[in-house]
Amino acid sequence: MSVKLKRKSIVRKKKLAASLIKYFVLVVLFVFSIFPFVWIWLTALKEPSELLDNIFGFPASFNWRNFTQAWVKGRFGTYFKNSIIITVPTVAGVCLFSALAGYAFGKLKFIGRNFLFFLFLLGLMIPFQAIMVSLYYELRDLHILMTYWAAILPMAALGLPLGVFIMRAFFKGLPYELMDAALIDGCNQFGVFWRVMLPSAAPALSSVAVFQSLQSWNDFLVPLLYLQKDELRPLTVGLMLFKGRYTINYPMLAAGATIVTLPLIIIYIIFQRQFISGLTAGALKG
Amino acid sequence: MTTSVNVLSGKLRKSLVAYLFLLPALLVYCTFVLYPIIDNFALSLTNWQGGTDPKTFIGLENYLHALRDPMVLLSLQNNLVWIVGVTIGVVGLALLSAMLLWTTDKGRLLFRTVFFMPAILSLVVTGIIWNWIYNPVFGILNKIFESIGLSGLSRGWLGDSETALFSVIVTKIWQGFGWSMVLFLAGLMSIDMDLLDAAKIDGANAWQRFRFVTLPQIRHVTTVVTLIAIIAGFKVFDIIFVMTQGGPGNKTLVMSIYIYRQAFKYDAPGYAAAVSIILAAIILSISVIYIRLRERGE
Repeated sequence: MSVKLKRKSIVRKKKLAASLIKYFVLVVLFVFSIFPFVWIWLTALKEPSELLDNIFGFPASFNWRNFTQAWVKGRFGTYFKNSIIITVPTVAGVCLFSALAGYAFGKLKFIGRNFLFFLFLLGLMIPFQAIMVSLYYELRDLHILMTYWAAILPMAALGLPLGVFIMRAFFKGLPYELMDAALIDGCNQFGVFWRVMLPSAAPALSSVAVFQSLQSWNDFLVPLLYLQKDELRPLTVGLMLFKGRYTINYPMLAAGATIVTLPLIIIYIIFQRQFISGLTAGALKG
Repeated sequence: MTTSVNVLSGKLRKSLVAYLFLLPALLVYCTFVLYPIIDNFALSLTNWQGGTDPKTFIGLENYLHALRDPMVLLSLQNNLVWIVGVTIGVVGLALLSAMLLWTTDKGRLLFRTVFFMPAILSLVVTGIIWNWIYNPVFGILNKIFESIGLSGLSRGWLGDSETALFSVIVTKIWQGFGWSMVLFLAGLMSIDMDLLDAAKIDGANAWQRFRFVTLPQIRHVTTVVTLIAIIAGFKVFDIIFVMTQGGPGNKTLVMSIYIYRQAFKYDAPGYAAAVSIILAAIILSISVIYIRLRERGE
């Protein structure tokens, strides 16, 4: 009896040790992942003078002045508005156009289907550098260079390959019966799409929407190259230039970074599942 | 006779309807991606200096020059170091954390949320935050080392040619491992538990079960994660641009940054176009080879 109990308690101790090691590693990774965020948010609340003495600790008082300064003097209010103006049309366009094209690729038979799909896949593999110069002159010749379209159109074009890929995979998975039932009821192809296929595509559409929103919100090279007027710049470019201008005033820079990140993080925490499924959907289907 | 004509017009009409669905996407994509690619290729055959200068046709001279350009070789080397470093780091950490979370019930959601969080940040913000962490004077990394008595390890992480590339790689690993972890977790959760139980009954220990049951079962996810890491590694631009601009002394110069420099700093967009086409060709070939290998393995 006692030998059996002893063996059981050894096994239990081993399991406990394994559990402790596991949680220890997880906590280390946790701290590794989160400390840059926490540090930046804390620093945004500090006085510039506190920086050298009090790098780790909590701010002496909650100094909201950095935020108001960043918003007004740093023009983050304008940049925030611009990010929204650029992101919303891009996401709407990519969602709608990808759904239309994805439906065609996934459910309709037509000449050149594989070739055209491959054409879209090309866009996933080419580096942006392969088109950035030509795009600049093309946008200039189309006279849209210093307008929001100079960012919206290229971003949408670059987002379409993945969008089409995801929507096509989704529509392929829908049963043909849905389509046939609607056709029998007298719908034409577009009616089938609009009334039957699209409503059931909500999960795939939300993946595309989340992914494209993040891409557009965080994009920095396209607006940097094609939106060279300060009134048009989105947050990413604004932050980069802000860094160049206020290198000494770290708390204000941190406040700027916080303005850029905090709303996104809050939305992320609320809509976690959609974010994660949206950002990994393309890869899982591959 | 009439039947075959009907069939033909039916197929044609179906195709036309399909093209209508494709039209918006195709229009935007062709105008703002395909046309620039072709134009870029045409550009690569000239020695254009940008602006209002004339474009003189010089054939494949840019390509020949690029193949002999030591900076191209150096950039490619840096890209390869980057790819190896980031892939090993990301896959390693992602697999580790996925395995840990797979066997954890308490707090799985919290850990997943936090591990994934870095992936939603703009690379500009990530670069700024980590620039600051690595700062020799104000940076938290050196402060940590000093406070635990390892001040010998303090240095200018991004300014030191020995540590610059490595430091940016660590930043990228921080940013990317959560995303890959989610994919690995999905793969792990779809493993048939009976296989593992059978292995346990056959006497396999934990490591053997991992190597001979778990790993093969997540082969698909591993392939996808690695391929994406490789392609992204060749295309990398934003994070290095924000953190080191390719310096110090070209220690972090990668292909995309070299192309950017040639196009905008050295007024050689024709040459830049050629190098960019070379980069695109490399990415395409590696993707095709990788996918072929994977298909053969299955």
